[in-house]
Amino acid sequence: MAEIIDDELLIEQFRRGGESAFERIVERYSAEVAALANRLLGWPGEVEDVTQEIFLAAFLGLKKFRCECSLRSWLFTITINKCRSYRYKWKIRHLQAIPIPINDIVMRLPHAAEVSCSPMNAEDFQRVRLAVAALPARYREPVVLKYLQELGTDEISRILGISKNALHVRLSRARKRLKQDLAELIEL
Amino acid sequence: MTEDKIKKLLQEADRLARRPDHVRVNLSAIHRRANRNHFIILAAPLAAAAVLMVALSILALTFRVAEPTEEQKKIALLETKIKQLQVRTDAALGLIQEVLEEERRQSRLDELQAQLASIPDPLKEIRQQVDKTAFILVYEADRLYNELNQTDSAIENYNRVIKLFPENRWTKVARQRLSEIKNRKI
Repeated sequence: MAEIIDDELLIEQFRRGGESAFERIVERYSAEVAALANRLLGWPGEVEDVTQEIFLAAFLGLKKFRCECSLRSWLFTITINKCRSYRYKWKIRHLQAIPIPINDIVMRLPHAAEVSCSPMNAEDFQRVRLAVAALPARYREPVVLKYLQELGTDEISRILGISKNALHVRLSRARKRLKQDLAELIEL
Repeated sequence: MTEDKIKKLLQEADRLARRPDHVRVNLSAIHRRANRNHFIILAAPLAAAAVLMVALSILALTFRVAEPTEEQKKIALLETKIKQLQVRTDAALGLIQEVLEEERRQSRLDELQAQLASIPDPLKEIRQQVDKTAFILVYEADRLYNELNQTDSAIENYNRVIKLFPENRWTKVARQRLSEIKNRKI
């Protein structure tokens, strides 16, 4: 609650011309926004460009933000929209350049999954990553927001702009597909 | 539960995945882009207005009407004269129609007056009939007195004429006859 009040004060300060308020908003939320963008884009690791775009959109739109939801939810909504367009442009650019199946493209995303003592090895990680990337955006986004970002259904519905029923249906279908693709890993 | 297992799997993958590099949001770049957007928002309408002005000027120059030639001027003059003649002709025709209409009305009036004149005066007819009747009664009375020797019937007829037609000229005759008959009796 205190955070929400703080956010509203920052927004009001920004509206009155206090640009340092925006710096504080960036400090507060850049890590979370970057983490969400990273997860939505399939864990590429390099999300500086898209994060910059997200905060530019936030800067331009903050004066019109009417606090119908929390600042965090609002930033997450911008993140989802930017990731969608970023992913679409990336796909178009790479598909036009070299005709490679989408699966291979996901495999080539610059990353370095660290192999640790965890039961999951690099190969399993790639499979999970592939399975998540293969989900259509309307299934992948609820999955990331629910299981990785651990947001509530109310907040997820608000961010995605869908009803709770629609959200449950999408999560159910996403789980069904993940279960099909990752059956062996789930059974372990 | 499958959902829990899926969640666990995803979270493990997330833990393993590459973390986003230390994200430094370049605030000065954001300010520059915002200022540029602001400039575009202000300049775009002005630029659009300028383009529109230029386009309108070009259109105006393209469609500017050329000076009319001598022939075109003569044609225009003739057209004007024809229009004037047309107006005068229409006026004259209108006048002629009015005159014809007036003549027709007069002719009809004369016809009706002639018809009226040909109808006999009913009053005159009645007077003539009255006169004729009075005459016949006097004549009958005379016959009755002079030829048939029926003095009383004759007197009756004379009195009838006097009673029925008091203003008639034959009434005077009927009065004279009565006076004569009275004098003869005496």
